[in-house]
Amino acid sequence: MSLTRREFIKKSAALTAASYVGLNLPLGETERARGEETEKWVRGTCRLCGVGCRLDLGVKNGKAVALRGVADSRTNLGYVCMKGMLFYKLIGHPDRLTKPLYRTKKDQPFKEISWDQALDIAAREFAKAVKEHGNDSVAYYGSGQAQTEETYLFQKIFRAGLQTNNVEGNPRLCMASAVGGYVTSFGADEPIGSYSNIEKTNCFFIIGSNMAEAHPVIFRRVMRRKLDHPKDVTVINVDPRVSPTSRIADIHLQFKPGTDLALMNAMANVIIEEKLFDEKFVSDYCVFKKQEEKEAKTVDFEAYKEFISEYTPEKAAAICGGNITPDIIRQVSRTFAQSKGTVSMWCMGLNQRIRGVWANNLVNNLHLLTGQICRPGADSLSLTGQPNACGGVREGGGLCHILPGHRPVENDKARNQVEELWGVPAGRIPPKPGLHTMALFSAVNEGKIKAIWINCTSPAQSLPNVDFYRKGMRRDDVFLVCTDVFPTKTTELANLVLPTAFHFEKTGVYGCTERRSQLTPKAVDPPGEAKPEVWIAREWTLRLARELKDPVIEKCIEPFKGLEEGWALPKAVWDEYTQKLTKGRDNDLRGATYEVMKGMADGVQWPAPTEDFARKGGTEIKFVRGIDPMADSEAKDDKPFQFYGPAHADRKLYVWLRPHAGAAEEPDAEYPFVLSTGRIIDHWHTSSMTGRIPELMRANPYAFIEVNPKDAARLGIKPGDMVEVESHRGKNVLPAKVYEGPIEGMVFVYWHDMDEDRMINKVCKDAFDPISKEPEFKISAARIRRVSGSVPLKPYIVSL
Amino acid sequence: MNRIRNARRSFLKILAGLFLLPARKACAGGIFQSPVATNRLRPPGAVSEEIFTGKCIRCGRCIEVCPYRSIIQLDARVGIHAGTPLIRAEDVPCYLCMKCVEVCPTGTLRRIRQEDTRMGLAVVDRHRCITWREEALCRTCYNVCPFKEKAIRLDELRPVIDEKYCTGCGLCTHGCPISTEDGRKAVNIEPLYSGLRR
Repeated sequence: MSLTRREFIKKSAALTAASYVGLNLPLGETERARGEETEKWVRGTCRLCGVGCRLDLGVKNGKAVALRGVADSRTNLGYVCMKGMLFYKLIGHPDRLTKPLYRTKKDQPFKEISWDQALDIAAREFAKAVKEHGNDSVAYYGSGQAQTEETYLFQKIFRAGLQTNNVEGNPRLCMASAVGGYVTSFGADEPIGSYSNIEKTNCFFIIGSNMAEAHPVIFRRVMRRKLDHPKDVTVINVDPRVSPTSRIADIHLQFKPGTDLALMNAMANVIIEEKLFDEKFVSDYCVFKKQEEKEAKTVDFEAYKEFISEYTPEKAAAICGGNITPDIIRQVSRTFAQSKGTVSMWCMGLNQRIRGVWANNLVNNLHLLTGQICRPGADSLSLTGQPNACGGVREGGGLCHILPGHRPVENDKARNQVEELWGVPAGRIPPKPGLHTMALFSAVNEGKIKAIWINCTSPAQSLPNVDFYRKGMRRDDVFLVCTDVFPTKTTELANLVLPTAFHFEKTGVYGCTERRSQLTPKAVDPPGEAKPEVWIAREWTLRLARELKDPVIEKCIEPFKGLEEGWALPKAVWDEYTQKLTKGRDNDLRGATYEVMKGMADGVQWPAPTEDFARKGGTEIKFVRGIDPMADSEAKDDKPFQFYGPAHADRKLYVWLRPHAGAAEEPDAEYPFVLSTGRIIDHWHTSSMTGRIPELMRANPYAFIEVNPKDAARLGIKPGDMVEVESHRGKNVLPAKVYEGPIEGMVFVYWHDMDEDRMINKVCKDAFDPISKEPEFKISAARIRRVSGSVPLKPYIVSL
Repeated sequence: MNRIRNARRSFLKILAGLFLLPARKACAGGIFQSPVATNRLRPPGAVSEEIFTGKCIRCGRCIEVCPYRSIIQLDARVGIHAGTPLIRAEDVPCYLCMKCVEVCPTGTLRRIRQEDTRMGLAVVDRHRCITWREEALCRTCYNVCPFKEKAIRLDELRPVIDEKYCTGCGLCTHGCPISTEDGRKAVNIEPLYSGLRR
């Protein structure tokens, strides 16, 4: 019995007494946002996923009171999801960090200190690490949620000031494979088309994405298109799990996890065999590439044909299992190739894989072979999970191997150009790329990193095999600075916690999935002593320059000295980045000034070299003459498409010969299940934000494990039973949800829960893609067993 | 045992004392009016509301056994119904673990199967539901429903209830992020099968 009789009687007596004196037990407050109560509406972007929904924040008496969608916005057309509707509650949330906190050792309690002390300590510790252990003993680990100005400024300070390329960010965990795929296939990062293709397409190919939950507003557009034209639009969903996205699919391909490379090669096989490919497009724009030991070799069409002939639909069906038959592969391939326009959409299902880049290449291959690209209704569109992974991290130089404006670190010319634009001595930026995320945290484990700055993300929950990497973060000889708005699993391991301003408490730009940069201005003051990251970075750098007696460090922030942090400072950073660093690059954002973006319902899609062009919204489809100004200015011949992407000097699109490859860890006799992880509509990432919104937490208080009914029956698992899921690395105990979601032999857990018993990243494998270095969260071998019947559980959120 | 008896005695004393006090506004409907109403439900398997109060001996076993503390014991403000069990769906809904029906000594809660439970019927208020109003996309009620795709399905992403399968457990009401001034949600449980006469 969960309540002893005595306890029960006591409680009922107390309740009776309370009700007698007329106390009302709270029933839940009224949550509906009321427009008439707000004084003003401030236009900005949603804080959460990568869709880039535009919102108006309602402000009353200096407080955020409501949010509503912006109907004129080209991203969300006025719609928002529940998360987007409610995040304004975080702006004045009682859990917010409001004072700098410090401790010398990680087992001590935190002490409140002043900003002066905090910045001095941070400068001293980083300077000490550099002096004693060299420049590569310090690192910055940023976020696809930091604004572009923040990522840009931090990476400038670390690269030119501290002379290390140890600049990374959590997008390595979510879209590095998509970057690898785009760069190797098209020679340029980021999608060619826009969301507007959704309303023009006749075939959706949704693979490895549960967009109904992860990108609900984009999913609504897809659904609308399908429902408005039920006969003319085909939705193909490819996923080992029947997800809410699958519900609108005409065809759902369910296969054994990790066999999709064979499936996509078989589709290419059908396209070649049945002559469904676009011969002119292929001969005009494409070359075929094969990866040899050291470099990629160009091969001819015959070689590709021979390579692909091996992947017959019959062979692929045998590899894929599930409901895949040779006929269904043929049918899907024909629909893909012959539709008036096909849009592919994918997300973590392809990216978080040991062969994530290959999987991306194979989707791109299908588009290149069939010419389903660069025209209305046809695109290969990678969805992004974070609001500024594209804008800040991919474009702003937030990864260890890239400088701002899509410049590779190793490229001497590009590096020297950046040094010149920054006005720092040539050779100041080291030529060697820094440590990528997994290598960085391995180095933390080994004690090679002595000081690390973690901004706006929580690797202590989001890394795969997280217990292993938390060991390093827990070391007392690793000085860990955390800048964040709420306590997280990572602030628990920090020495210094710096409170930052939240979205709408500072000004900055987010760049969403479709290359669109959108401005969010400051609408309310941050609580307590919380400060914008750009201010923190600037003030810290001044002290750092003094500690290290290095005028070049100070030079990094020279243009920003003394500027007011709410508008002038981020504006100056944005202007330097766009006017200097993106000039002439494929992500030319010179037209997207604060003034231009401020007046827009949404934002600007690059390339947008001039303000006049930016005001119209920028480039809807890249590489197309007449639409993309750079396709005209960079044109080398009179063909309608000009693939001027910086990575392919030959201006060709590459069709890659990529063989099938399985997962890093396949199920075996001891660990017979495939564990896959994913997202749910009510929560976002490590739930440090959504977990603090009562409505969302009530809707989804804790993680569960989805088990196929056949597996459940075999193992005696009933709905609600507690189930242990264990891998070589760790285990979780979660309540079971038994339903026809995951394919037989697969279990699924969502990864947002902070509770140690339900934090699935403890169980996930940390193997990573050799090209993109993105870990394979999606496939781990695991075993499950029933532990007990249902047990009431409590939601859990970290507190200080 | 003595301690328990003492506690029980003091508890009963409080209860009796309260009975003697003048009824407050909560009792406005009279001391005979049933507490069953929208989102105020009897536990699974309850007999008709007409005879519930006569049949229930207020032993509190259903309340004790409930692992989720979904069931509360009513106090003196509800007149003759004091001491009987009730579920307030928006506070803590019923998770249909069916433990309470097993322990009821009087058969006031009949031993029925999970899927046969009919505590009420969920009704989506299409004027309040944020998805039906086309203001935002939410489908919490669908996600939390234990009989997903049966009791609730989505029609163009908007929730629709099927009375054939809805048990009235209140999980959807509890999860619903929309609260209104009158304490209701955008999906509420109407106790249609309670035998209550209005």
